[in-house]
Amino acid sequence: MKKTLLLALILTLGMLLCAVPACADISADVEAGQAMTREELAEKAMAESGTFVVYGNTSRIATAAEDFAALYGISVESNNLKDQEIYTKLRSENGRGAADMVMIQDGAQLSDAIDEGLVLNFVPASVKDVLEESDRQPALVHQYLNKLFIYNNQGDSVPAIRNVWELTAPEMKGNVIFKNPETEKVNMNFLIMCTEPAWAEKLAEAYRDWKGTDIDLGSFENAGYKWVAEFLDNVTFGKSDTSIAEELSQKTAAGKIGLFVLSKLRSSSVLTENLTVAQYDASANGYAIEPFSGFMYPMYTMVNTKATRPYTAMLFIEYLMSQEGFAPWGKSIGSYSPNPAFTVNEGDLSIDVWKANLVMEDANYILDSFEVEDFILQHCQK
Amino acid sequence: MDEATVRGSAFVRLRGRALAWLSKPANLILLFFLIALVVLTLYPLYSLLMETVTIHAGREARAAKEAAGTLSFYHFRRLFATQENEYSRIQFYAPFLNTLTVSLAASLIAIAFGGAVAFMVTRTNLKYIKFISAVFTFPYIMPSWTLALFWENFFKNVNIGLKTSNGIMAGLFGIYMPEWFVYGAFPIALVLGLHYAPYAYILIGAMLRNMDANLEEAATILRTNRFRIVWCITLPIVKPAMMSTFLLVFASSMSAYSVPVFLGSPVRYYMLSTKMKALMDSYPGQAYIIAAVMILMGVIILLLNQRVTNSRKHFTTVTGKSSRISKINLGKANTPIAIALVIVLLLVAVLPLLTFALESVIIKAGDYSPGNMTLDFWIGTDLTERLDQGDSTGILLNPKVWKALGYSLSLSATCAFAAGTCGILTGYSVIKRRGSKLANLVSSLAFFPYLMPSLALGAIYLAMSAKIPWLRGFLLLALAGSVKYLPFASRSGVNAMLQLSNEIEEAAIITGVPWWKRMLKIIIPIQKPGFLSGYLVPLVSCMRELSLFVLLVPTSNTILTTMLMQYSEKGWAQFGNAINLLIIIVVLLVNFIVNKLTGASIDKGVGG
Repeated sequence: MKKTLLLALILTLGMLLCAVPACADISADVEAGQAMTREELAEKAMAESGTFVVYGNTSRIATAAEDFAALYGISVESNNLKDQEIYTKLRSENGRGAADMVMIQDGAQLSDAIDEGLVLNFVPASVKDVLEESDRQPALVHQYLNKLFIYNNQGDSVPAIRNVWELTAPEMKGNVIFKNPETEKVNMNFLIMCTEPAWAEKLAEAYRDWKGTDIDLGSFENAGYKWVAEFLDNVTFGKSDTSIAEELSQKTAAGKIGLFVLSKLRSSSVLTENLTVAQYDASANGYAIEPFSGFMYPMYTMVNTKATRPYTAMLFIEYLMSQEGFAPWGKSIGSYSPNPAFTVNEGDLSIDVWKANLVMEDANYILDSFEVEDFILQHCQK
Repeated sequence: MDEATVRGSAFVRLRGRALAWLSKPANLILLFFLIALVVLTLYPLYSLLMETVTIHAGREARAAKEAAGTLSFYHFRRLFATQENEYSRIQFYAPFLNTLTVSLAASLIAIAFGGAVAFMVTRTNLKYIKFISAVFTFPYIMPSWTLALFWENFFKNVNIGLKTSNGIMAGLFGIYMPEWFVYGAFPIALVLGLHYAPYAYILIGAMLRNMDANLEEAATILRTNRFRIVWCITLPIVKPAMMSTFLLVFASSMSAYSVPVFLGSPVRYYMLSTKMKALMDSYPGQAYIIAAVMILMGVIILLLNQRVTNSRKHFTTVTGKSSRISKINLGKANTPIAIALVIVLLLVAVLPLLTFALESVIIKAGDYSPGNMTLDFWIGTDLTERLDQGDSTGILLNPKVWKALGYSLSLSATCAFAAGTCGILTGYSVIKRRGSKLANLVSSLAFFPYLMPSLALGAIYLAMSAKIPWLRGFLLLALAGSVKYLPFASRSGVNAMLQLSNEIEEAAIITGVPWWKRMLKIIIPIQKPGFLSGYLVPLVSCMRELSLFVLLVPTSNTILTTMLMQYSEKGWAQFGNAINLLIIIVVLLVNFIVNKLTGASIDKGVGG
């Protein structure tokens, strides 16, 4: 009996200590796949077995995955997760039941993930010559999304802003709604970008336009820090962009303004007639919102280094980059393909207009901005 | 005799004693659980402590400017001693104080409310006892944030929080509650207190119901007034139950995650649990430190508790013979008190269900006209055409939901089976070898997970799973769930065994009945209701558990509660409300079926 127990103990400990099973290296496959046509990829993909698993932090990935599954008869499991959750999973799952392919935002974290060898970039042959270099390397951009200043147009005190400094005025306290940057990194990235020297300079100019005097920085390092601090002091945090859109569109929400994803306006749960997109109004009436009317960030598609169905992952990316693969996003406002051949929806503005009026994410600046992040956290607390 | 012979005979004696010791099933079981519990509780704890000194890949390694895998005290310095931008105050000290405040208040509320109701139900001639007793366990059965969501929907108004819309109170009655009432420490503590009040009700109620009435009767004969009897006799007797409720509610409140998310975030009120979850993704080292702090707090409370009650044995056990207790006649106050209590229970336990049903059929929030109602969120199709809420079908047509429900049910059943069975076995062996060092050790280890807040236990198992390749998915969840609920089950087991006289088993031993037959044919059948509660509590708790599993699930869609949390966080209110209702109905149904089939009930089970 004792021996049996001892044996059981040794076996248990042995199992605890055994190493992670080795995964096949797929980088050569991904390299080879870049030169293949869709048909060639499909042929290889069909030869792979097991369920094809996708993680995405856009809800519409479910539709794209269903369409893809129907087209190729491949069983797909799509999971809609939060951005940070995906990165955490890529690390902790370490190839065990993890996704074959991810659709993900936050260029800064992605940059780390690429360096760590968690994900591989795959550029389909079909878009290699179509996309700008920056949309292909170091990671393939599937689409751009924008979060915009959108205000409630009811009542007497409509916050139709023309300058972002207006949001820092005392009377706007509690009237600005934004999602907590601690819970969604792209929001944090936007605030970090505001402190970048070029944007800080633009904010200083905007301040001059607004007040007629030069900005008094006080203890702040630059105008970006000052704006972020005073903006956050006036902000109320909403739970999610969906609920912000729904809440802000209520008649009772007069005088309020939000900064959230434009695509939320397509939902039937939002009373769109009560909302005005600040940039739409500016473009229609020929003025500009100084110095920006929101921010824009890319959504990337990457192959998991530990993918068990690498060719299916590549085929899916190739599919997503096509007109039909982009359709779930392309059919409504707020998603913009980097492919210049794709037209934007009626009523929406072109990607060029957005790029000129929005704060774009710069992973290189964000990566080492730990102190700015702490500064922002501090102002999220108060 | 030469030396070799002496050694040889000593060995033979030792071997003989060891074999005799091992021939007793109780000893074998204790040995098995000692090993299993060391592996399942102490090893994970060790993994957790290692994670607090390890630099993790990603943003953490970049911030620490050290290679991933390096051992360092960076996380401790960062979390406890960073003054720049008030980092430590914001990330640790302020949430720590908030956690203490909320957990303390929640414990007091739970004890006051649950204890008062328990007293009235057991010691007075209060009306509608059956209804009150049945409905009082509802809040425990429902996911804790159910009440938080309801609180927000009910009291929110245009003067507070997002200031965008009115809830039922302001919309229908024109009553605008102040911000402190709707968001922050007060409602978080109140909601948690109400959610955990059933613990107090069950633990204190069991004590009151079974306590020896002789003392009270003696006091009555000596013409002591009622108040003095309650203060000087009843309260000291239920003190152990109150202390164990305190421990339980404090540890659970500390780890509550969803309630502070809903009721704290809008006013920037953070607790350790919310900070830990936020840190886990970018700076896991610091998150693990918070988990360790939570466990430490649990241990400190237990030690305090032990000092107060002298021995943990008195926690929940019920001894002494009970005789007919003279009940206090509430007289004229009876009906008003009963009605007030029924109204409170309806508000807390039944009204939320009705509002969830209503909110799940509304298209645009706040508009309750028939034109704005739809069953789309339950049975609709092609919803992505007009909604930005992920799913294209209503929840009843969504295979994802059914899959998650199946997963939740099988996970709960597995945890209940594992925890319940282990509970019977530990209960049996601990009582059989009562007083021995081994029994005490196993009993303490089995109790250890009780002190670990669910979120921290989840974090521990996450840390452990990173090192053990095969520990993932269902197995990981089932293991964490079984360990978490083992204390409840082993308490039930110990209590059931305590009530069983040793002579019964001895009679069977004399007639040569083997151990397994004694268990299956004698011990388990006699104490069936007690043991079954050891299965039912894990079953129900697991169905509505979020904090324990939120870090461990393969994806948010794996089980119903994490799916619901995801929907709530994304603001997909209608789907969320529908799923919430689904969870509650399933849990009530499971509870009802088990109760009807076996006679086991929640109120016999929690903590014994």
